[in-house]
Amino acid sequence: MADVLFPRLSEKEPDAEGVLATWFVSDGDQVAGGQLLAEVMVEKVSGEVLAPAAGQIRLLVGEDQAARQGEVIARVD
Amino acid sequence: MDDKTRLDLYRVMVLSRTYEEAILREYHADKKPAFDIGAGLVPGEMHLSAGQEPVAAGVCAHLRPEDAVTATHRPHHVAIAHGVDLDKMTAEIFGREGGLGHGRGGHMHLFDPHVHFSCSGIIAEGLPPALGQAFAFKRGEGDRVAVAFTGEGAANQGAFHESLNLAALWKLPVVFVVEDNDWAISVPRDVSTAIPSNADRAAAYGMPGQRVGDNDVDAIYTAAGDAVARARAGEGPALLEIHTLRLWGHFEGDPQAYRPELADVPGRDPIPAYEQRLTEAGVLGAGAAQAIKDEASARVEKAIAFAKSSPVPAPETALEYVFA
Amino acid sequence: MSATETTTASGAQAGQAERRLTTARAIAEGIAQEMERDPGVVVLGEDVGAYGGIFGATGGLLERFGPDRVLDTPISETAFIGLGIGAAVEGMRPVVELMFADFFGVCMDQIYNHMAKIHFESGGNVKVPMVLTMAAGGGYSDAEQHSQCLWGTFAHLPGMKVVVPSNPADAKGLMISAIRDDNPVVYVFHKGVMGLPWMAKNPRSIAHVPEEAYETPIGKAAVAREGTDATVVTLSLSVHHALDVADKMAKQDGVDLEVIDLRSLVPLDTETVLSSVARTGRLLVVDEDYQSFGLSGEIAARVAETDPGLLRAPLRRVAVPDVPIPYARSLEQAVLPTPDRIEAAVHDLLKA
Repeated sequence: MADVLFPRLSEKEPDAEGVLATWFVSDGDQVAGGQLLAEVMVEKVSGEVLAPAAGQIRLLVGEDQAARQGEVIARVD
Repeated sequence: MDDKTRLDLYRVMVLSRTYEEAILREYHADKKPAFDIGAGLVPGEMHLSAGQEPVAAGVCAHLRPEDAVTATHRPHHVAIAHGVDLDKMTAEIFGREGGLGHGRGGHMHLFDPHVHFSCSGIIAEGLPPALGQAFAFKRGEGDRVAVAFTGEGAANQGAFHESLNLAALWKLPVVFVVEDNDWAISVPRDVSTAIPSNADRAAAYGMPGQRVGDNDVDAIYTAAGDAVARARAGEGPALLEIHTLRLWGHFEGDPQAYRPELADVPGRDPIPAYEQRLTEAGVLGAGAAQAIKDEASARVEKAIAFAKSSPVPAPETALEYVFA
Repeated sequence: MSATETTTASGAQAGQAERRLTTARAIAEGIAQEMERDPGVVVLGEDVGAYGGIFGATGGLLERFGPDRVLDTPISETAFIGLGIGAAVEGMRPVVELMFADFFGVCMDQIYNHMAKIHFESGGNVKVPMVLTMAAGGGYSDAEQHSQCLWGTFAHLPGMKVVVPSNPADAKGLMISAIRDDNPVVYVFHKGVMGLPWMAKNPRSIAHVPEEAYETPIGKAAVAREGTDATVVTLSLSVHHALDVADKMAKQDGVDLEVIDLRSLVPLDTETVLSSVARTGRLLVVDEDYQSFGLSGEIAARVAETDPGLLRAPLRRVAVPDVPIPYARSLEQAVLPTPDRIEAAVHDLLKA
């Protein structure tokens, strides 16, 4: 099982909250290692979230919801 | 400069002048008694290059068919000097199917892809595409260059300034040639331009600039040689401003009432002056000049005959060539 | 898509893994695949490199292909669009980005007098195989000079193809087609369909995009939704709004709308429009460009000059009503072709 983390986009403000802007996969989908899972934003900077492993993904944060950098936003089994 | 080079320059200038005189004749022949710009076999505007031959000859002598040239609304001397197909060019000027553009473009929109020649009727807008040709050449094999001709009036247009900056910034193999013929239609340079020479603008854009006075084809040839060699060597662009002479009006039909020195103009014709110099130097022997003129005349009349015998495009084909 | 193929809600074919991308990423993917295939494809424009394009259309390209093929230009549209033209004339296939369609004023000569005319003037002897991309559209308060669509202006001038994708799959396919086309193609992408994380997005901006390179035909409209009661002809972000309205009106009012996504303005797929109108008899054109002297009038003219009898009711159009796009949100929302305006126009069309 692998955790999918919200990327650390802001070194200056490691505790700054961001937004999970777009999920490219749905809850329960099979994903491949390295697959593009989501686009996130911290303030004005956007970043990509790639799958750390292959497996079935469970989403823990909804689209347009806030999340902290480093927070677990999904799990891949 | 060796004799052969100078003789070639003379030959090109004579061909160019002979051509323009023939087009002048053909253009006006059927617009009488009163000048009607839309009448006759060669209707529309006509911008002839008499007096400016030294610029075209001196610059294009350094170019190969695979080098690109963009010219202006006054393109014939440049086209001839760069080796554009004379028959097809003439047919295009006459608006015929056998023309370079099948009659679609006419005298201001001549395209000969075999020698990478194009021209445009919009002032200064021939410069940006020349940058693109240079850009493509720089990425390819060899040391091809692009030369963009423009006028002293055009040097105040935005496209000129943008193009100079980008060419220098990207070190493109392009040479900018400003034909300063003193007049932007009826407006003299000192009424349009804040500084005395566009060559002085070159430094502002990060490239060398040189002004050549006197409409002297030998001096033009030398200066152009340096600029073209520089571009071929990958050292980037250069600006040449050449003080030349517009012998006739801006366009045919231009009464030139605004031009106070008109009476003196024929006396400044560069071709008889060069002919005299070459004769005195022994480069042109007895009868050689006349032989060159006769040869030019024959070539030009052949082109005109080709044009006149080429069919007029069929109206049903008017919508062709919009898309490839 | 044929009725026998099953697709997921997002557009993947049965048996094909679903692969969702934003329109912005789909565009960049299309460009990238063509850049892999053809070394003559280069990308030029302001902020197309490290920034990835202000609206994400060239994201990832610099990292993948390097600064020799993805070039940030100075703020010199005339020079760099003209450079694209010259490079295309010499056999390259440049993709040149005009940051905002609204900026065409500073470089229009190169576009309409050169890029669009060289092939014709040369009697077909010189080709200009370039793509001119541009961001267009409003709805996020960017006001008069940064919210226009203007595709009608480009479509009006002969010599350039004009394509306007509404969704990720078409965006990629049309980009590939545009790059491969030997003609100049103006490729207009609405900022609101790009799926950007920093702008409110319609869910249709993220959808399935096939992994392989493929061409979406230029000059062919798509039937985005089949229906019987009225034909809505539209493009770009307005396709999303029209589909939203269609879904709502199907549930609430039992109205069955057909939505045609034009996808291309030049060439315009008149046949698809006419065959739809022939069946439904009612026509609404939704166009985010200015109302008068543009696309909506063109559609109306093509119907009228074929057979005005096709229409059982006068046609309706929802466009920007000949006013510059105002800044204040309340005003901007009043002039854009919003779902409310579209729904009201459909009611109007059906009762006539």
